[in-house]
Amino acid sequence: MARLEKPEDLENLRDSLREENRGFRLRIIIPNGTCCRASGSQAVIDAVKAEISKQGLEKEVFLHITGCHGFCQQEPNILFEPGNIAYCRVKPGDAKEIVEKTVGNGEVIERLLYVDPLTGERIRREGDIPFYKAQDRQLLTNNKLVDPLAIEDYIAIGGYGALAKVLEGMGPEEVIREIKASGLRGRGGAGFPTGRKWEEAREAPGDEKYVICNADEGDPGAYMDRCLLESNPHAILEGMMIGAWAAGAGMGYVYVRHEYPLAVQHTRNAVMQARALGLLGENILGSNFSFDIEIARGGGAFVCGESTALMASVEGKVGEPRPKDIHTVKEGLWNKPTVLNNVETWANVPSIILNGSDWFASKGTRGSKGTKIFALTGKIRNTGLVEVAMGTTIHDIVHNIGGASDGRAVKAIQTGGPSGGCLPASQFGLPVDFDSLYDAGSMMGSGGMVVMDEKTCMVDVAKYFLKFLQDESCGKCIPCRVGVSRMLEIVTDITEGRGTRAQIDLLKELAETIGQTALCGLGKTAPNPVLSTLRYFGDEYLAHVDEKRCPAGVCRPLIRYAIDPEKCNGCGVCVRSCPHEAISGQKKEVHAIDPEECRKCGICAAECKFDAIMVN
Amino acid sequence: MQQQVTLTIDGSTIRAARGTSVLEAALGYGICIPHLCHVPGLKDTGACRLCIVENVQNGRSRVTTSCTLTVQEGMVIRTNTENIKRLRRNIAELIVAEAPNSRAVQDMAVRCGVREVRYPFRRENCIQCGRCVRYCTEMWRANALGFIGRGKDRKVDFAFGNRRDICKKCQSCVIYCPMSVTPCGGPMKPGEEKLCGKCESVELMAENAYGACVHCELGKGFQCSRHAM
Ligand SMILES: Cc1cc2nc3c(=O)[nH]c(=O)nc-3n(C[C@H](O)[C@H](O)[C@H](O)COP(=O)(O)O)c2cc1C
Ligand code: FES
Repeated sequence: MARLEKPEDLENLRDSLREENRGFRLRIIIPNGTCCRASGSQAVIDAVKAEISKQGLEKEVFLHITGCHGFCQQEPNILFEPGNIAYCRVKPGDAKEIVEKTVGNGEVIERLLYVDPLTGERIRREGDIPFYKAQDRQLLTNNKLVDPLAIEDYIAIGGYGALAKVLEGMGPEEVIREIKASGLRGRGGAGFPTGRKWEEAREAPGDEKYVICNADEGDPGAYMDRCLLESNPHAILEGMMIGAWAAGAGMGYVYVRHEYPLAVQHTRNAVMQARALGLLGENILGSNFSFDIEIARGGGAFVCGESTALMASVEGKVGEPRPKDIHTVKEGLWNKPTVLNNVETWANVPSIILNGSDWFASKGTRGSKGTKIFALTGKIRNTGLVEVAMGTTIHDIVHNIGGASDGRAVKAIQTGGPSGGCLPASQFGLPVDFDSLYDAGSMMGSGGMVVMDEKTCMVDVAKYFLKFLQDESCGKCIPCRVGVSRMLEIVTDITEGRGTRAQIDLLKELAETIGQTALCGLGKTAPNPVLSTLRYFGDEYLAHVDEKRCPAGVCRPLIRYAIDPEKCNGCGVCVRSCPHEAISGQKKEVHAIDPEECRKCGICAAECKFDAIMVN
Repeated sequence: MQQQVTLTIDGSTIRAARGTSVLEAALGYGICIPHLCHVPGLKDTGACRLCIVENVQNGRSRVTTSCTLTVQEGMVIRTNTENIKRLRRNIAELIVAEAPNSRAVQDMAVRCGVREVRYPFRRENCIQCGRCVRYCTEMWRANALGFIGRGKDRKVDFAFGNRRDICKKCQSCVIYCPMSVTPCGGPMKPGEEKLCGKCESVELMAENAYGACVHCELGKGFQCSRHAM
């Protein structure tokens, strides 16, 4: 493809690409992101491809390899357009039948359709699957339209149109006004108004300015940014170009962790394609705007997501935060004014410019506009990436989209990763937006959501996050390095039956001290998991401390396994399964567990068909 | 541009050269803000967090470290509010529980009002204030010492853990290390660590002279900037 010299060249290219795509009668879409590959999508793709060429259908059907669509639990899946027929959990062995029946004759293979676990009904169209139906997919919807390795696909769906619009007739101030009016707030956690950030960087003195995309994404359980970058990297690049135009930057960096090799590869490829078309480089689309993007790979430290640590890391220094008395919009990368935004923030920019700020602001709540992607995981039926309008209640997300799991009641939801907190089921009426989550003692964070049920011990959850933070703290300041390890020490005492009430008070005091005095955002928010569980699940802490009992049956030193004589029918399964030979009993007689020998591994409880193993 | 700015620290009006830190400005006027990782002439990193103060802006006060805060015209700083005293005491308690075998750390804890230590003592021999690392890199440009690792595994070491040959043997790292001064009675036996600083004079002084630098003996052990200057 030739370099695009002016906006009309882009229009012409788009028209010719659309014309080309009309030649196909059917699009077979197979997602092939990191999560899809983990469940074997590559083998399915190979099988389908071989089958298509065997049957000589290459000219009629188009095999479209895209990024993940979000319903990660049902992967590998295949989608057919037009028709919107979706197959789930496809195996390579199904390829022949799929190509023969569905591709050849338009027949639907019932057994590959999604089965609604509640009604048992088979659902044909992807759009009718409850998981998708309850969402508002503005960003994720493009994932099934573009091959991340093909800039043509992105251009065909209108990509880089926002850039052309900006360069043709929107001055930087107008762009900033538009972003401000849209109410877009940063998706990386803190929710800082994006337009204001750009404006401050624009007004900061200096000619040399930078924009950075934060794709560090270190929160356990979160993978929204990976998916966006992997599936549609050009949208993020376009957002950065517009941001750079507004802020007056000439250079941009995508900071992505090296544990995301596919995202690195796709972004790198996207940058090269954009350069080849002249969308990056000197005088973009014939304007006086010159801008380029480089990829900076991070070593995968959670703290490197923090703005100052990230910039130190891009500069090649140790990724440790520095005091932020001067903001990074004034003195950021190489002490120059720098705009740092999250992947999802950047991805939202092109559509705001194209559709207008009113369109964006029409979704969401008063303080939080637009949609937000969450990584929904934990004790629910449907796990995956979920995009909803801001202000959707937690209940809707957990129950309508997640389809809360069978039997056991959902107890809490953890949002915001290690900086966030746990909210109890009684708070599920809360709308999900920056301010209400913060007021409730948690945080939006970058979008991880972990659902927990009765079998989750909240003290244990707090312990997990403290352990994570102890390892991931940079270790520079005392409150974070020493304080968090002391908090972990206390919480460990509590889970092992040595806790006292005085320790709970000390824990609170310590949490407050760390929150007020730590150097960076990691330390300042580190106490949140403990504070929020203390606030909403204080009785669980007290049960551990006063009664030396773990209500959820998780903390091993506090639990005992025993056999319920009412339920045990002496089948002997537990006797055989116990690796420590702690269970004895004759056939057809009630068995018994020897507490001396029992290591509390829980295998017997998992094996027993009659629910006869009691944990208390 | 004007070279001096006027600010208020604990109600006193103070003039300081543009570009200096609040900590230096305060020390220059004899207002003592406890500090440990600050060394005059070296870049401040804000590691120990003992020098915290409240920076009052538009009626809201923000806790921040004074060594990394540059003076600004009209700034209002409070170094000794109840909140600051409590936070500082808690931080000092964390430090002394980490490393009881340092006279400097013990004195500092008493100075910051610690009267009891609620954590089991650990016997670390480094509190990672980073004085040695910064002296080595900034003053001598030797770059022999650096921090390695992160989180609980972070430690001071030679490059690659073994390049001792880079060291210029200036000994500054020892001189500036707060751990190099042992408590009066020598290192404490394992299991018998305690908060010392029971010398009456020290305790009295720490209580009464809160907030004012009296050129006390406390800082001598670790080159408090009053003694190093
Ligand atoms: C410990 C820590 C980790 C962070 N990790 C991330 C991250 O992984 N991704 C991200 O976008 N922002 C992260 N942030 C937030 C960034 O510092 C910064 O606020 C954000 O990237 C700004 O972009 P936004 O305005 O678009 O949200 C982290 C912050 C802290 C304190
Ligand atoms: S002296 Fe300011 S943080 Fe240590």
